Amino acid sequence: MTSLSESENPRPGPPAFAGDRMRVLLVEDDQETADEIIAAFSRPGYTVVHVGDGPTGLARAGGGDFDIIIMDRMLPGLDGLSVLSALRQAEIATPVIVMSALGDVDERVRGLKAGGDDYVAKPFAMVELAARVEALLRRPALARGTSVQVGDLKLDLIARKVSRAGREIELLPREFKLLDYFMRRPGQVLTRAMLLENVWNYRFFTETNLVDVHIGKLRKKIDAIDEPPMIHSVRGAGFMLIANEE
Amino acid sequence: MISGWAQSLAPLTRLAMFRLTLTFSALFGLTALVLFAFIYWQTAVVETRRVDHMLIRDAEYFASQPPDRLRDIIESRVTPELRRITYVGLFNGAHRAEFGNFPVFPETLPIDGLAHRLVLAGPDGQAPPEIIRAIGIGMADGATLMVGRNVDSLDNLARVVKRALGLGLIPALLLSLGAGIVISQRTNRQVQKLHETARRIMNGDLKERLPIRGSGDDFDRLADSVNLMLDEIARLMEDMKATGDNIAHDLRTPLTRVRTRLERARDSGQSQEDWHETVDRAIVGLDQALRLITALLRIGEIEGGQRRAAFEELDLAELARELVELYDPIAEEKGLLLTWRAPDTATDLPISGDRDLLCELLANLLDNAIKFTPAGGLIAVEAQRAEGVCLLAVRDSGPGIPPEQREAVFQRFYRADISRSVTGHGLGLSLSRAIVILHGFTLTIEDNHPGCVFLLRCPVTQ
Repeated sequence: MTSLSESENPRPGPPAFAGDRMRVLLVEDDQETADEIIAAFSRPGYTVVHVGDGPTGLARAGGGDFDIIIMDRMLPGLDGLSVLSALRQAEIATPVIVMSALGDVDERVRGLKAGGDDYVAKPFAMVELAARVEALLRRPALARGTSVQVGDLKLDLIARKVSRAGREIELLPREFKLLDYFMRRPGQVLTRAMLLENVWNYRFFTETNLVDVHIGKLRKKIDAIDEPPMIHSVRGAGFMLIANEE
Repeated sequence: MISGWAQSLAPLTRLAMFRLTLTFSALFGLTALVLFAFIYWQTAVVETRRVDHMLIRDAEYFASQPPDRLRDIIESRVTPELRRITYVGLFNGAHRAEFGNFPVFPETLPIDGLAHRLVLAGPDGQAPPEIIRAIGIGMADGATLMVGRNVDSLDNLARVVKRALGLGLIPALLLSLGAGIVISQRTNRQVQKLHETARRIMNGDLKERLPIRGSGDDFDRLADSVNLMLDEIARLMEDMKATGDNIAHDLRTPLTRVRTRLERARDSGQSQEDWHETVDRAIVGLDQALRLITALLRIGEIEGGQRRAAFEELDLAELARELVELYDPIAEEKGLLLTWRAPDTATDLPISGDRDLLCELLANLLDNAIKFTPAGGLIAVEAQRAEGVCLLAVRDSGPGIPPEQREAVFQRFYRADISRSVTGHGLGLSLSRAIVILHGFTLTIEDNHPGCVFLLRCPVTQ
């Protein structure tokens, strides 16, 4: 597995962080699921601490020295939502991803209401969890001034104009919104579900290639014939905007 | 089974029908008693009045006669007409009997010319006392005249009434008791038949039905209702079985494919590249199986109807417009024209619902329309308001759905022949239906000449 070149074909799991080590607290009572998640995060830049019940999870998280918490909804001792509420009451703002085995979509609403930052329903693809963890760890790039730039692609937030290498690109409002989301998260894997949730605010699964078609349209507009593509497909995961360094 | 037999051998008093008969018999008996008592009482009153009237008239007549003729008149009247007056007595001022068959002056009788009840002791103290109506009246010469009448007839009346009670009421009670036993046992047999059939059904024979005698009585109607219920249960069981079979089949297909692929990959010395390809395809197959299970769980969860907490005020036109925009490129890519029409003001279609679920519903309808409409076709989404409802129509120019299949397409795993070739887990419309029912909306399929139209009706919120 490791022989595979990560830049060409990133495997499930978060990317390595060059700088600070990211400390992940995993609160999960199912050992098998925990092992899978620990394995996915066993790469440079991450330290995973695993605890198996609510009270211990709350105690560890209460220290506040984690960058992110991945927490199961159902935990022995104290359930995930109670841990989450207690943390938020103690004004500990560590980002939390709630995992739930329940199919209930209400669970998501409850999880977010209790102070969760994101929600994944089991069973999930590891790439989905990894991408969401990454999205929470990296704050989206704030626009410097009134524009965002990735490589030679530039997006003007005030004039709502997009240009690549000086060439003006006409985008529909929905395409502008999609590109905006990508440009604030360069080099991050964005899954189809994340795009549907965050760009369009929809939370349904569709059998059609809805997101792919929208991305296809956007690609056609931002990549001229002689230009290298910027939005890459990440197999089995989603999409990634990569700056083309000269 | 034991309890069943115990029931069949239950004593009469435990049968509802018999208890009912007993109650009615008791009521009937009581009514008859009250009625007879009333008749007796009324008759006695009338008879007493008649006797009194007669006594007063006779006494007044006697009193008006000259004393010297009185004896003759009494002799001539009392003797031949024993039925009018049975006792007469003339007493002087010292209450000494002077004439008549009344030997002793009854001290308890007021001398007021009115009739009173008088109890005379039997002549020898052995015979029962005699009850008479009597009048005492003062004569002009200071004497007192007494006239009395035996009222045996009232005794006779009481006897007649008692006999009538005995002759009429007791046989009637016995008859109703007998009828109660017969009827309740017949009913019991009937109930027993139902019991036995119900038990056979409980023991697994769902084809069994309760017997209907064809008389159209309440037992027949009850049996008919139960039979209808059994039909419905059998249909649901059939559905569940079919659903189970379909789940098994739909899960086995992708899993078998995954297995075959992995097996082949293991046996053939593949390159690392091919291995990755195989694993990726295996994951796709497993995802397909997982999605099927997730969709089933979601339908169950939505049908459980616990989600009203997330309801909010929404604008149907706004939701639909956004989804049409989302699906527009997909339709375009397939060579379909997707159009949108709605009333001018956006806030004209206020509904109450769960935004995420309603978006899923609309997405399902659009997914379907796009899936089944061949290239070059037209999909028209229209929103409008009519008579307290918001209407949303999704029209397509696809192959349409024959009327007899329009209900079936909402069932889990139902696939019209035409959709066999189309991908999908076949649960989209079941999920849609569950969402519609949760919201209290209706979703129907109509003809679009050509194609079909899915018509969503939502009540307007106030």
